[in-house]
Amino acid sequence: MQISTEELAGDVTKVALDGRMDIQGAAAVDLKMNIIAGSSKKLLIDLEKVSFLGSMGLRSIVLPARAVNSRGGKVVLYAPTEMVESVLKTAGIDSLLPIHHDLATAIAALQ
Amino acid sequence: MSSCGSLAATMPQVNTIKPQPRLTLQSQLDELARLWPWIEALTAEYAIPAGTQFAIQLCLEEAISNIIRHGYRGQPDHPITVDYAMPAGTDELVFTVADQAPAFDPLAPSAVKETPAATSIDQLQVGGQGIRLLRKFAGSLAYQRLPGGNRLTIGFALPR
Repeated sequence: MQISTEELAGDVTKVALDGRMDIQGAAAVDLKMNIIAGSSKKLLIDLEKVSFLGSMGLRSIVLPARAVNSRGGKVVLYAPTEMVESVLKTAGIDSLLPIHHDLATAIAALQ
Repeated sequence: MSSCGSLAATMPQVNTIKPQPRLTLQSQLDELARLWPWIEALTAEYAIPAGTQFAIQLCLEEAISNIIRHGYRGQPDHPITVDYAMPAGTDELVFTVADQAPAFDPLAPSAVKETPAATSIDQLQVGGQGIRLLRKFAGSLAYQRLPGGNRLTIGFALPR
C-alpha cells in the first residue's frame, strides 16, 4: 500500500492511495493518514488506484475525515473504481463524504 | 491411505469438481494476510472475474475478522477454517467458514443494528459495516450452528 501527498492550488491537499485497502493496507497508511488529517483543512482523497476496500480500509478513510471535519475542514473522495464506490455506498459514506470522478469538480467542492 | 474410502463414506456428501484445499487460520487479525494469496490462486484456477474476486475477498475478510473480534472476542490461537467447493451442476463457488466460537448468526436481524442513516460524519458508525458489506456482496449466504461452533456458507455465481 502506497500513500503520497500533493499540494494543489487553493490550499487543497491531495492524498493518493495506491494498493489494497485490506486489513494490512489500512494498517500501513493509518499513521500517515492521521498526520495528514491533522494539518489539512481541504483534503482530497484520491482512490483511483485503490484496488480493494474492506471495512478496515473504510475506517482508515472515515476517522481522518472526521478529524478534518471537526476542525471545520472539508473532505472529498475522488475517482474510486466501481467496486470501491459500491463499498462506500453500502456503508453510507457517500452521503457524508462526496464522491467525485472529475478532478476540477472535486477541488471545487472543497472551496 | 487404505482408510480413505471408509472415511469418505462417513463424510457429508458434497460433490466437487476439485478436492477441497483448506485454509486454516488462527484467530489473529494478522492471519488475514494469508487470505489474499489463497484467493489469487483460486482466481487463476477458476478464471474468476475481477469483480467477483473483489467480492470474495471482501466477504471472507469481513466474515473472518468478525469471528476473530466478536466470536473469539480477540483471543488468539483459536482455529478458523475456510473451504471451497463448486457443487456439481452449479456455477457457484461456495466458501464455508467454520469456527469453534460461541454461537453468532451474522444473518440474524439483530446482527446489524438498524440505526438511522447518519447525517454527519461524526455519527457514522465505523464499526458494524462488515456484516452489511457481507450481505451486500455475497451471492448467497447461509448460517448453521454446529455443536461446537458456527458455519457460514458464502456463495458466488461464476459466469459460465
